[in-house]
Amino acid sequence: MNTRLLMTMHVKVGTLLNIGAVPYGTRRTAPLDGGTFEGPRLRGTILPGSSADWQLLRSDGVLEMDLRFTLRTDDGALILMRSFGLRHGPPEVIAAIGRGETVDPSTYYFRTMPRFETAHPTYLFLNRLVAVASGDRRREGPIYTIHEVL
Amino acid sequence: MSLPINSRPLMVLRLETSATQDIGSTPQGALTIFPVTGGSFEGERLRGKVLAGGGDWVTAHSNGTLTVDLRVTLETDDKGLIHMMFTGVRDDANHYFRTVPRFETAAPKYAFLNRLLAVGIGEIRPEGPVHIIEEIL
Repeated sequence: MNTRLLMTMHVKVGTLLNIGAVPYGTRRTAPLDGGTFEGPRLRGTILPGSSADWQLLRSDGVLEMDLRFTLRTDDGALILMRSFGLRHGPPEVIAAIGRGETVDPSTYYFRTMPRFETAHPTYLFLNRLVAVASGDRRREGPIYTIHEVL
Repeated sequence: MSLPINSRPLMVLRLETSATQDIGSTPQGALTIFPVTGGSFEGERLRGKVLAGGGDWVTAHSNGTLTVDLRVTLETDDKGLIHMMFTGVRDDANHYFRTVPRFETAAPKYAFLNRLLAVGIGEIRPEGPVHIIEEIL
């Protein structure tokens, strides 16, 4: 599989809202309070208010993520980015992340599959591609390295 | 710092489909359903057959691309049942057909599938669609 770097994204996570035990697992919502993204072909900011992560902690210990972002590029284009992701790892590593510690991202699995929608002519290529991201959860929020699948 | 993306082969999936059901032009695009009647999958860690009863919901959009939405049941050679679904983009003008499969199973031997993300490279061959699927490491 060939990929190339699309962008690196720094996300600021707001205060988690714990929905609690639902029939599918433990549900919580993470408002995303902003952030930035930068890559060879696009850069800009994440708009708070229309960006959040709906998380589900499953009974097998895997965290499912259902993310929606609105991105605004530096030339004013609005882009919807949606991704599904999984995060899991050894209990001690996941506990360290929970305490806000910075851990080596190679010690746990944190991957998402972003898809994009935009109407802006400069960024129409995003409508036609599939992407893969690696995550690195920091205290303030995740850093995603997003690659286009070629 | 930018993290690398690595992958490894998971399986090659071959699908058999019957006559399409052409729903026609809907507010979402032109929808065609491809009933899946069978097929096979083979990889180092799993192999078996595709059960009849699945399908691929293919929508043609105004920009010339197709989006696919497939659901099938896989039965391994040791009788494990695996639900597989994928969505993806097919852009024939650019020879681009990529999917993002997900799996659900209760078979302990195949529980690793519940915990991974994957990418598929699709090809339409004379004998039917073939998807070369890699696990994202």
